[in-house]
Amino acid sequence: MNSEGLEFAGHALSRASLDSCVKCTICETQCPVAAVTPLFTGPKFVGPQAERFRDGESVDHSLDYCSSCGICTLVCPQGVQIAELNSQARAVMKADHMPLRDRLIGQTVLMGTLMTPVAPLARAVLNNKPLRKVMEVVVGVHADAPMPPPQSQTFESWFAKRATPAGPFPRGAVVFFHGCAGGYFEVETSKKSVEVLERLGFEVLVPKQGCCGLAQQSNGLFKQASASVLKLCDDLRSAGKDLTIISSSGSCTGMLKHEASEIMGVEDERLRDVGTRTRDIMEFLLDLHEAGELPTDFAPVEMTVPYHAPCQLKSQGIGKPALEVLRLIPGLTVVDSNATCCGIAGTYGLKKEKYEVAQAVGKPLFDMVKATSSELALCDTETCRWQIEQSSGVKTEHPIWMIHKAYGLS
Amino acid sequence: MSRVVVIGAGLAGLVAANRLAEVGVQVVLLHKGLGGLQLGQGTIDVFGYAPERVFNPIKAVGSVATTHPYTAIGGKAVLTGLDYLKKLLPELLLGDPESNYQLPTAVGAIRPTCLAQPSMIAGHVTDGAKLVIVGIRGLKDFQPQLIAENLARTPLPDGGRLRARHLWVDVPARDGEIDSSGLTYARAFDDEDFRVRFAKAVVDQLREDEIVGLPAVLGLKDLHAWRDLAGKLAHRVFEIPLPPPSVPGLRLTEALTARALAAGVRIVPGVRTVRYASSGDRVTSVTTAAGLGGRGYAADAFLLATGGFESGALNLDSHQVVRETLFDLPLAGLDQTPLIHGEYWGPEQPLFKVGVAVNPKMQAVDAAGIPVFANLYAAGGIIAGASGWTEKSGDGIALASAIVAAAAISKELA
Repeated sequence: MNSEGLEFAGHALSRASLDSCVKCTICETQCPVAAVTPLFTGPKFVGPQAERFRDGESVDHSLDYCSSCGICTLVCPQGVQIAELNSQARAVMKADHMPLRDRLIGQTVLMGTLMTPVAPLARAVLNNKPLRKVMEVVVGVHADAPMPPPQSQTFESWFAKRATPAGPFPRGAVVFFHGCAGGYFEVETSKKSVEVLERLGFEVLVPKQGCCGLAQQSNGLFKQASASVLKLCDDLRSAGKDLTIISSSGSCTGMLKHEASEIMGVEDERLRDVGTRTRDIMEFLLDLHEAGELPTDFAPVEMTVPYHAPCQLKSQGIGKPALEVLRLIPGLTVVDSNATCCGIAGTYGLKKEKYEVAQAVGKPLFDMVKATSSELALCDTETCRWQIEQSSGVKTEHPIWMIHKAYGLS
Repeated sequence: MSRVVVIGAGLAGLVAANRLAEVGVQVVLLHKGLGGLQLGQGTIDVFGYAPERVFNPIKAVGSVATTHPYTAIGGKAVLTGLDYLKKLLPELLLGDPESNYQLPTAVGAIRPTCLAQPSMIAGHVTDGAKLVIVGIRGLKDFQPQLIAENLARTPLPDGGRLRARHLWVDVPARDGEIDSSGLTYARAFDDEDFRVRFAKAVVDQLREDEIVGLPAVLGLKDLHAWRDLAGKLAHRVFEIPLPPPSVPGLRLTEALTARALAAGVRIVPGVRTVRYASSGDRVTSVTTAAGLGGRGYAADAFLLATGGFESGALNLDSHQVVRETLFDLPLAGLDQTPLIHGEYWGPEQPLFKVGVAVNPKMQAVDAAGIPVFANLYAAGGIIAGASGWTEKSGDGIALASAIVAAAAISKELA
């Protein structure tokens, strides 16, 4: 309890909102975890109710089964920050006995740095059942849980080595924030994002950048996560003042936009500056469209695809911009999953004790995906894509892939 | 294409969004949380008490004071709204505008309502009926003895009597839980295997001609679960709504939301709308408190369907000043003194009739009856002049004001 983040977690902002709880149960009706297991007593009990009894120590350890999907905060009509309260209380609860696994799986840059140079080997290891069983026993990561797909080239390396794009870039410069997953694992998504932005006439700047700290934050490592997010703000600010920052990493944008300030209490001018300039790429395209500035000369794509809006995108209060933009493509039928959560919730569904719960949470979504298409599904965030693909067997990509295709870029 | 921003996802917001989308208007629905619709009983009250028990709700609508919202809204819009909902959700709402159902409640009182779910209407009280109320041990919010004994001792609204007894069964909703919510039971009832087990536990305890009263948990997604159970029991059954989480309320909310999405309404959940911008006599945009920067939504017309005090649309501060929290609209009903009297169990608090005044187009108007903005409309609980929960008129006001506002907006934008 010696770091600032935990002090904040124990006492501040979200805690002040709990008195607004009128016990209406709306959060309970939407919680995807409580729906599938009695191990989690639901957001109302664990959040505003149990919080009243917490004095340093948690009174209710079922709290650890909250996946932090955030739907409870989103649907609360009284403005109680239920998910934030729960994330904070969990960080406090785990502070003096943080499992090694939870420290490790927050190290997303480390994972990428280690795996990229040995991508084929890393792929083989992650697909090797006996080795994964060992990993489950030793580290506590479930043997069947989805793992990041190692790539042979990082996005950074591609961006540096490619032929300099000719332009012209009449719309000026934007900053691209790729995130760890977009830098090491979902390299294609980052490439396609840059190519779409360039097609639209933007010069894309990619400053050297670190991790936003989200995986550390969701595992309760607030001190490390706060340092990471501020370092990232410095990195992104180094590309230029007042430029729009665009990302195809839907969960990392959420960290910059609101989670760092609301969950960890990071109050810093740099974060405010970066957070207000950050846009999810589909949000950015929708903004352009609404301003009449998005070319809609899309080639027809005769296809029906399921689309799932991830929790951390929904938590940003922007609705489902991908859905609106994809519907501009002729021939394309996009079916909204309307599912609450895929279950993975960052690193939640990887953990051996949560794996079954996470699979049950995601089941309606997996069924919907399989029933809608055997070819392709779309979703804005990386770990959710890995989860959907692993559990439904349907290849799952970022919506920007479809925009890229419809613009004739692939 | 014209665009309308609807703020609020209760009955008024959802109905207006559906009506507008159906005539080709682009609708963005902003809400800071799910509406109260899902906390209610899953019925549509039009007029329950005026102040005596109402048998013909549409007749009562036509007999209100000039300050009552129904005066501006008009009985025709109420009929249009009821007809619309019955056609939109035929598996969920039945009823006659000229005749209230009189339905048992979870404390064994008898509540008047206009439209009810098909799963409830066998509970409409009639002279000489024989009821058996079935409690489930794992569901603490439903006490069958309380319900049965209160019903049996109460003279019915039309003067008759019914007979009622109770029984208990013990069928857990899921393993590992001894105290389940109604919602957990509703999810269990969606599963036919559970219904078979449940029917088996009940059927031998039933007597001939008894109508079986059950907690309103007979399925959430499967709207025919109750009918299937009735078949398995070979008795008529009816649901009695529980305190929240209200399964019938959820059914209505989910159905109206699904309809809105299918009609192309863009829903942006979880955002408080905090500011607006105007130019001349028109609102040009509203801004939500999303993230660190907020997001703006420009539109041609705006519908305020934010509710009342309970949702934060109206606020009373410690200086007894009441405000409408988004547009700071002029309020009606403030001339009643005192706004709050000290008698907790006394007559209705005048404060609760405070709200926004509207004209027959549902434009928000000032004390002189002039629209505050030409393109700002109001619907539902924000409208001044009624206490929905004492009259049991809140649903009817929300529904019909949404119908009127949507019609006025689409006419204006055409």
